[in-house]
Amino acid sequence: MAGCDCGSEKTVLITACSGAANTGLLADQVARSLRADKTGSMTCLAALGAELSGYVESARGADRNIVIDGCPVGCGAKIYAKLGIPCEQHIMTDFGVEKGKTAITPDLTAEVAAAVKAKIAEAGK
Amino acid sequence: MKIQILGTGCPKCKTLEQHTREAVAEIGIEAEIDKVTDIDAIMEMGVMMTPALAIDGEVKSVGKVLTKDQVISYLKGGK
Repeated sequence: MAGCDCGSEKTVLITACSGAANTGLLADQVARSLRADKTGSMTCLAALGAELSGYVESARGADRNIVIDGCPVGCGAKIYAKLGIPCEQHIMTDFGVEKGKTAITPDLTAEVAAAVKAKIAEAGK
Repeated sequence: MKIQILGTGCPKCKTLEQHTREAVAEIGIEAEIDKVTDIDAIMEMGVMMTPALAIDGEVKSVGKVLTKDQVISYLKGGK
């Protein structure tokens, strides 16, 4: 949970496409890494796609919504667009990962997570 | 009508509860108002920030202290 809104802390929610390909796996692992280092709170993209009210209103109320998409199909960002909620999209294939080919290793996950984290920080300035 | 105030008990949650009770009284509807303070129950509803307001199981607002008039609008089916 991102937490009580009593404080002044910005709410950053992170979702991942978690698709079937290697890029979906990487998106999921990068999102979990960002949650672990407290870049933001992870929430469920599937629940947003299903338009479950608590998830949708949480995304609507967040200061920033970060979506980690595996590939340029961009299912995650399209869910936000359908809901009319702005999001910041990061696509795993933009980081030199080839869909259906690149092996997803812990080192690659750490490397991409660090790069995405830097982009998130830069966009937040 | 079942109204749920989701929050762990902070001042903003209490203010939302107060505004909700005032709204219910003002429009004279019969409603059951439940406070949901258990963090797991709150998260099961997908709510990531509190306070939140749900009406008949549907979350209407998250992370905001709604005014009495805003609550009335939701109670009347509006946004």
